[in-house]
Amino acid sequence: MQRRGEVLLLLGPCVLYLVAFSVYPLVTSLFRSFEDYNSQQNTWRWIGLGNYRQLFSDTEFWHTVEHTAFLTFGGVALQVVLGTALALFFNQRLRGATLVRGLVILPMLLTPVVVGLMWRALLNPDWGMLNWLATQVGFHNVQWLTDPSMALRTLILVDTWQWTPFVFVVVFARLQALPVDVFEAGEVDGATWFKRLRYLTLPLLMPAIAFAAIFRGIDAFRTFDLVYGLTNGGPVRSTSTLSFQAFQNGFQYFHYGYASAIAYVMVIVAIVGVTVMLRFVRVRREDI
Amino acid sequence: MSAHTVGRIVSYVVLVLIGLVALAPFVFLLIISFKSRIDVLEVPPSLHFSTAQIRENYSQVINDKGFLTFIKNSVIVTGVATLIALGLGIPAGYAFSRLKFRASGHWASTILSFRFMPPVAVAIPIYLMIRDLGLVNSYLGLILPYVAFSLPLVVWIMIGFFDEIPREIDDAALVDGCSRASALFRVLLPLARPGMMVAATFGVIFIWNEFLVGLYIVNSSSRETIPIAASALLTVESPIDWNLAAATGILTVIPVLLFSLFVQRYIVRGITAGAVR
Repeated sequence: MQRRGEVLLLLGPCVLYLVAFSVYPLVTSLFRSFEDYNSQQNTWRWIGLGNYRQLFSDTEFWHTVEHTAFLTFGGVALQVVLGTALALFFNQRLRGATLVRGLVILPMLLTPVVVGLMWRALLNPDWGMLNWLATQVGFHNVQWLTDPSMALRTLILVDTWQWTPFVFVVVFARLQALPVDVFEAGEVDGATWFKRLRYLTLPLLMPAIAFAAIFRGIDAFRTFDLVYGLTNGGPVRSTSTLSFQAFQNGFQYFHYGYASAIAYVMVIVAIVGVTVMLRFVRVRREDI
Repeated sequence: MSAHTVGRIVSYVVLVLIGLVALAPFVFLLIISFKSRIDVLEVPPSLHFSTAQIRENYSQVINDKGFLTFIKNSVIVTGVATLIALGLGIPAGYAFSRLKFRASGHWASTILSFRFMPPVAVAIPIYLMIRDLGLVNSYLGLILPYVAFSLPLVVWIMIGFFDEIPREIDDAALVDGCSRASALFRVLLPLARPGMMVAATFGVIFIWNEFLVGLYIVNSSSRETIPIAASALLTVESPIDWNLAAATGILTVIPVLLFSLFVQRYIVRGITAGAVR
């Protein structure tokens, strides 16, 4: 009995707080996704699966799904490759590497909206630094943010600049924790650098890489701030993500019910992602 | 030159390039922020700056746009919300690490999974809640949801750190007649201080940057936090005064930069414990 009192005392406030400010809003959203909001009269009307039916037959929604998937899989794949390469690179202990490592981590601490602002300046077609560099080495002016077929790739580029450091930190920490003698044995056996990487280092790093990829994937899936700051979903909605579409429907067009339906599709996907991820995360020591 | 030396040189060139890619956007922003509105358009930007222009730009952002108010708002909201999150999250982390109860692992995973919920899924109900509570445009209106957003992270990090402290230590304290609560506060918390620093660091980063939910809770510049103010700059004023936008960007980067210098080791520990943002 005393045990139960202790649990309630220590855990109760935290759980109650989350129920009030996370569970309750989440459940409310679920109900709202079955309703239609009338912004003139501020009334809600139950329409069952109406929002979902409308959603799944909306080509714009499917385009948004495509963008989000491209950002989630393409972007994260790029970040995983670059981040792992960075980790391997920094593992060779160069002089001055610690300083550069500090710089590399900086982007992911920044407010995404400000990152968007910063890159809008860099990518400006008329006076941005990146186009100046591109023309210097013989490329044409690139319409980074104004060409609908380019903008999503640009978004991924900026996302990669900001979040590759995350993969790097996770993989690098794992790399540093690996036993050195395994590698020395590999070297003595005369295995080439590539063979050691392929058969020794990468398999040992795999749990960290998988964890970083899934963690990053769930975050990339929810991308909102960067879209807001960099492209505002445009041009012609070519960079609209699910979060952004839900946001626009909810806060700009006052289609609260429809927005909640989009958000709930996201929640379902996120739950699947988190379930997969939790296989890679040790929540408590006893769980392993 | 031996192959080894060549390899070294290549490595250093790559190292410098990596540093440049990470840093160049900041440098460009800094240069732009020193220019007049017209000179921004110059390609490549000349590196002659006038102190008067620099002072003019930054004083416009700081004095006329009230940047110091945004910093003050961000500091208050972030500070209070982080402290509340720690206050709620530390005991919870301790309970998960030390007490055995039914389905505790399941509970822990559930709390943790809130870290990954898309904010848009709760943004609208939270906005309506805050509106009904009459807390629109108040610090509390931002603090209440921000605590909930950072809490799962704090619990998660604290479980990890409590797990690293041998159980024998609190058993000894309990045998000596401490209650659970005093064992936690007197004996374990001092030992878990690095964990608290990591949890606080991530709470701060997360709350400092939050923007989607705050955007509609706050609509007067007297309560706007830095990200919200920065976003207003992007959307409201078109065409953008890029020199001032850049100065705003630089001013938002500086606190983050200073903060990261002090907490870098906690950041690395926190991320490897599975936490960021």
